[in-house]
Amino acid sequence: MEEKGQPPGSGTDNPYTQYYVVKKGDTLSKIAKDYYGDAQLYAQIFEANRDVLKDPNKIQVGQKLRIP
Amino acid sequence: MYAKSLYSLVILAFVALFASACSHYKEQAQAAIAQAETALEAISVDAQKYLPQKYQEVEDAITAAKASLDKGDAKDALAAAKDLPAQVAALGTEVAAAKQQAIATLTDSWNSLSADLPKMVEAIQSRVDTLSKSKKLPKGLDQASFDAAKSGLDEIKGLWSAAEQSFNSGNIEDAVAKANAVQQKGTEVMGLLGMKSAPAA
Repeated sequence: MEEKGQPPGSGTDNPYTQYYVVKKGDTLSKIAKDYYGDAQLYAQIFEANRDVLKDPNKIQVGQKLRIP
Repeated sequence: MYAKSLYSLVILAFVALFASACSHYKEQAQAAIAQAETALEAISVDAQKYLPQKYQEVEDAITAAKASLDKGDAKDALAAAKDLPAQVAALGTEVAAAKQQAIATLTDSWNSLSADLPKMVEAIQSRVDTLSKSKKLPKGLDQASFDAAKSGLDEIKGLWSAAEQSFNSGNIEDAVAKANAVQQKGTEVMGLLGMKSAPAA
């Protein structure tokens, strides 16, 4: 589980926003499980990234996702 | 007989002149010391806070002048005392500048902290809210740590509210101290939650 600081051009001015860079084999459920202990909370991550995600099942390697 | 009387009169005149001069020196020294003491008293709180070393130097100079006066050496006392009012006035100017600088520094700190800390609180709140919905805590976060994070968040919110109150009531020094406490506690809570603190600017 790797949290990152705010990337440039992220569209938010909160320097405390937590980010995760998608790796090969990741899913929102897996990320939610890692961060929250509950895969069902993937929707929280999806909602926080609606500006870059159209479908919760489609994330791309290298994408920087906000982790609320 | 006449010459002897004249001689005595001259001696007496010199003694009287000397006594008069001494008395004059003493009065001038006393006046300078009193003026310096009154002026120093007026700036003592800020002077001891912002320039304690210089305050002590001036206070020591006043004490030395008073000691000369007490010893009866009016000329020395005047020499030691005559510049005291000017020294105190110069100290007052320096203290005012130091105070202004300190307030400017505190204001900068407050502006930075007050822009930053609500975002920290928001990020922590968001994570706590999400974790509160979880059926099971993530690896690396046990219930005790999560509970500590939640109570830490409550503490942060209380401290931040108090900091804002201090600022609004004009006590910027206390406001900055409380804001720094918020930042320290917030960093600790973020650590408990496995969150990374914002990188330093």
